[in-house]
Amino acid sequence: MSVLQIHAHPTRTTVWILSWFLFVTGVISYFWVSRERHRDNPDDRVMPTLRQMSQAFVDATLKPAEDDEAAANASQQSLATRVRNSMLWKDTAATGRRFLISMALLFPAVLLGLHMGMFPHVGAFFLRFVLFFDKIVALSLLPILFIAFGIDELAKVMLIVVGVAPTIILDAFNLTRSVPKEQIVKGFTLGAGDFSITYRIVLKQIWPRVLNSIRLNLKSVMLFLFAGEMIASTDGLAYRIALLRRHMGMDTIIPYVLWVALLLFLVDFGMRTLNRKLHPWFQEA
Amino acid sequence: MATAQTLLEEKTEPAGLGMRALICIQDVLVEYGQPGKPSKRILNGLSLDIRAGEFISIVGQTGCGKSTLLRLVLAEEMPTRGQVLVEGSPRQQPDRRCGYVPQKYSLFPDRTVLENITFGLEVTEIGILGGFSPARRVRRKEFQSEAIGYLHRMGLRESDASKYPHQLSGGMQQRVAIAQALIMRPKILLMDEAFSALDPGTRAGMQRLIKDLWRETGTTVLFVTHNPREAVILATRVIALGRTGADEDGANIVLDLSVPDTGDELAIAALVQRVERTTFPGGAESDEQTGAPEV
Ligand SMILES: Nc1ncnc2c1ncn2[C@@H]1O[C@H](COP(=O)(O)OP(=O)(O)OP(=O)(O)O)[C@@H](O)[C@H]1O
Ligand SMILES: [Mg+2]
Repeated sequence: MSVLQIHAHPTRTTVWILSWFLFVTGVISYFWVSRERHRDNPDDRVMPTLRQMSQAFVDATLKPAEDDEAAANASQQSLATRVRNSMLWKDTAATGRRFLISMALLFPAVLLGLHMGMFPHVGAFFLRFVLFFDKIVALSLLPILFIAFGIDELAKVMLIVVGVAPTIILDAFNLTRSVPKEQIVKGFTLGAGDFSITYRIVLKQIWPRVLNSIRLNLKSVMLFLFAGEMIASTDGLAYRIALLRRHMGMDTIIPYVLWVALLLFLVDFGMRTLNRKLHPWFQEA
Repeated sequence: MATAQTLLEEKTEPAGLGMRALICIQDVLVEYGQPGKPSKRILNGLSLDIRAGEFISIVGQTGCGKSTLLRLVLAEEMPTRGQVLVEGSPRQQPDRRCGYVPQKYSLFPDRTVLENITFGLEVTEIGILGGFSPARRVRRKEFQSEAIGYLHRMGLRESDASKYPHQLSGGMQQRVAIAQALIMRPKILLMDEAFSALDPGTRAGMQRLIKDLWRETGTTVLFVTHNPREAVILATRVIALGRTGADEDGANIVLDLSVPDTGDELAIAALVQRVERTTFPGGAESDEQTGAPEV
């Protein structure tokens, strides 16, 4: 039996073992190296132990954020209030809010792409400009955005929009154009007008693909969001990570990184499930 | 409420224009050009009058412009020269007078069979925002029972109504597509190789169905096909497109044949042969022959 065979048929157990192997070895080797380092130097801050990390994570979830007034009477509060006042919760909420605002701002981008694809005049008006905009490296605009919009929320949200919107617009545009001509002609022959065809035939058909495209661009959204938060912010997950880096707080940074990955995974999974549930007719390529 | 059966029996009004034809194609020239290249001529000075109630088959070699001709009638495309009149007037874009059954992408993939059939009725009567009022809901119910009637007429089961197009076979999809077009009671039904992806048995069944529907509704049918036999047995008139001169000159009508309504196999065979010889002068094979429907 050869491993590198196109026609190989790994058993279910093999597949299971293979797919978890790197996770398990990664975790094991981390803790092994970490233990060795702590044996040499008990104050090692580079590779915190599991106990240090869980302690830091519990602190982050249950203890109030450091600048909080309520810190004094923390122990008398209920668990829910404590979580709500915690550093992790506040950071997640701040990042989540920016994330949601940016996502909401991407929907007009979808509509713009749709209209560009459907109406030649709209397409002619915007296409060249969007193509140009798409080539701008969004991060290079960061200083300009901070100067133009100040260093508050608006600049961060604008960074995401500038960075991701052109991609979404062009995706929606291309998806619109890829709807077979037959469908549009069919719409006209069934008595639909331009807008009925645009929204009730074309938008409805490309919608799951648009959601997919937004889902695939979540990473860029997070990238720009984190860049903005790290450079200019007073809260948020990336702000916290950048802040903790100054005191080498690896025991908190690592759980934070994993927490972000988990959140992104859940959003992605949720969107995929929703897409399948809402569009039973849609067959993913 | 009228049943689907009686609706199907309502004959489409004759053109009402005296001797004027329902569709007037006048000296059309179609050229496709890209900047910097000599333009390619597809149809060259084609003229054709079609009266209401005719069943026209259009045959011709691949690439000779059959689909282009349909697109002209649909008004999806404008000729470079000449004009196409439907009921005496030119049009800017496709409208309800033409029903259209393309070969591919004939159904909306995101709608169930029932929603596909009622789409035309809903979109013309119910606006984007008006879908929720109680009166509309009653109307929608009416549309649905009308659609179910068509479904039965097409030989589909009621259990198919909630299926999505990708869950249907090719023949079933085309049946739904025909129902979707016919429920709007179009004056003209355009079918572009609508049956060519079907196996011979299904195809013969569909031929029978379309001929029956044509008899019942009196709709004018333009039926594009590759198959000379199919063209002859279905139509009252066969139009063959072909090139008479050099390749760059474009195609024109090379044969305009009236088909008598006869059950005589020999006469039909002779006509088929004639169409075949004009359409494929090189003696090329026509595609698969199918059994004659019991018309
Ligand atoms: N948009 C276009 N631009 C350039 N050429 C085109 C365009 N549409 C069609 N053609 C050309 O016009 C010719 C006729 O096309 P058409 O689709 O009408 O042929 P057809 O008779 O329907 O062929 P088939 O039997 O293969 O469907 C073809 O040679 C095709 O290459
Ligand atoms: Mg064609």
